[in-house]
Amino acid sequence: MVALARKTLVYEWRRFLPAILAVGFSGLLQLLQAALVLGIFGSASVYITGSSADLWAGYPGTQSVNLGRSIDAGVEMRLRMDPDVTAVEPFRWVDADWRGPNDTGGVSVFVSGINARPDGMMFSRALPLDLRARLNEPDAVIVDRADLSSLGVGVGDTAVINGHRVRVVGVSSGLRALGGVNVVASLATAASLDTDPSNVNRMTYFVAKVRDPSNAPGVAERLRGNRAFGNYDVWTAEDFARRSQLYWMFDTGAGAGVLFLAGIVFLVGAVITSQTLVAAVVGSVREYATLNALGVGVGALRKVVMEQAFWVGAIGLAGSTILGGIALVFAHSRNVPVALDPLTAVACLVLGMGLAIVSGLAAMRSLHRADPATLLR
Amino acid sequence: MSEPMPQIATPISLQARGVSKSFASGKVQSTVLHDLTLDIRAGELTLISGPSGCGKSTLLAILSGLQRPDGGQVIALGEDLGELDLRALERFRLLHTGFVFQGFNLFPALNAREQVELPLSYLGLAPAEARRRAMASLEEVGLGPRMTLRPSELSGGEKQRVAIARALAKRPDLLFADEPTSALDAANGQIVIDILHRIARNHGTTVLCVSHDPRLVGHADRVLAMEDGRILSDRVPSPTSTPASGIEEPQA
Repeated sequence: MVALARKTLVYEWRRFLPAILAVGFSGLLQLLQAALVLGIFGSASVYITGSSADLWAGYPGTQSVNLGRSIDAGVEMRLRMDPDVTAVEPFRWVDADWRGPNDTGGVSVFVSGINARPDGMMFSRALPLDLRARLNEPDAVIVDRADLSSLGVGVGDTAVINGHRVRVVGVSSGLRALGGVNVVASLATAASLDTDPSNVNRMTYFVAKVRDPSNAPGVAERLRGNRAFGNYDVWTAEDFARRSQLYWMFDTGAGAGVLFLAGIVFLVGAVITSQTLVAAVVGSVREYATLNALGVGVGALRKVVMEQAFWVGAIGLAGSTILGGIALVFAHSRNVPVALDPLTAVACLVLGMGLAIVSGLAAMRSLHRADPATLLR
Repeated sequence: MSEPMPQIATPISLQARGVSKSFASGKVQSTVLHDLTLDIRAGELTLISGPSGCGKSTLLAILSGLQRPDGGQVIALGEDLGELDLRALERFRLLHTGFVFQGFNLFPALNAREQVELPLSYLGLAPAEARRRAMASLEEVGLGPRMTLRPSELSGGEKQRVAIARALAKRPDLLFADEPTSALDAANGQIVIDILHRIARNHGTTVLCVSHDPRLVGHADRVLAMEDGRILSDRVPSPTSTPASGIEEPQA
């Protein structure tokens, strides 16, 4: 079988180059956009992914970590009673108002009150042990390096949170928050910053470790639905993290914006690619018509066009994969929040191939001009 | 002047019966073919000549099954082409017909051998057989040494010979050629028409050639002169190849 599609692609590569570039760049844009979105919105769940807890207990229906409401402190006992639970600790979330020593006005901050002991689960992956230990000093707080300027402080400075004096004892990295600024404190400090009187004897979350993390879904199932300690629900860390990210992505409208952009990129890519492929078909229309006169069916000619579309897609996407990889490595080295899991990467590439196929289908329509009778005049 | 050798052994392979065709351009209906009846024999090179616009290309398109007549019948190899649907017609062309066009219509990316092999692969031939046939056809048109060259490396005459080889390799019963020499110089035109003539003789193929090129008349076994959608004369030219010395046959 003579490989007409491939030989034409190689010989007339200049003709196909715009289509290859269009597929390649739209693939690259989709990949980078997805990586940025996942990187940025991944920080919505940094409280969960930066901690080693397997289970989270909180107010029923909580859509995102930052939207927690307090639950009865007795839930801690309920969790401890389960034979598979090996450790439980509280996590207090306080929405607060920050006034720094410099003129920064009021800044909305999220105070995370955590167990500061070395074996604490909260932020065990985000805070080094020596930094954790400093939280045990009274009124000590840690802020993220990236937030120092917006808070108007440096290490050692004092500031006021909800009218209470605190002292910055260190800086973390990788604890940037969405829609505000993260401040980490010990449970005791956080309790003193919480001005809501109804939160006495109540806690925002309890986090727990289970003996075998692979059993976490079963344990969560067993622990939820018990009304003895008031309203609460239990989720696995994985579920809760995903739910928090999806909330930020879709309920805030940011995800819709991203999808809109992805649609635009797809559309522009498809227009360029299909126009290029149409031009390639029209450029060879007399040859196709001759083949048809010789009895080669229209179906076989369509296959040639679709094969060309496939190769255009494959070459373009190979390019976007390589360039995307380089861009992601570069972004990582510059602390740009990017994250890309294989499934999303494959989805982006499938989208790119879909673009090439749709363009091929559009180009296939121009084969109707390959009427052999038009050759006889 | 003597009668030419009687052609008893050559059966009729292509028939037109009362074929008519007209085109509408705007509100004006112009008739291109007027109730045309015609028999064409196998093993002969039949030339349809006439001024441009006389309907000879339309006649070729209808006889070869590329276009349907408005009225009348075309019977090729005993089959009524009007009864075949589009797919069956494609199949018929694949199995039985070859085409040579004025423009050579070769794929720029393929070398001569691949051009010829391409339609063969759709015939369902094994790759080795397709290659063998393609090479044999190229040898037959005298392009054996040039079969690895692309169209851009071939002269016009050579390209037309590749196109002939492409049609010939299918071993068609019917070979249609539309102005095969009009883009070529005298020498190359001569080569091409000789090849077409030889194909008719050696393979028993029905070769139907449409041209307004007067140089071809002397090489044809039979010349049909057309004008205004009608056949004016049907004659067998003398071997000395001057058009004026042809012998008139009864009109079709």
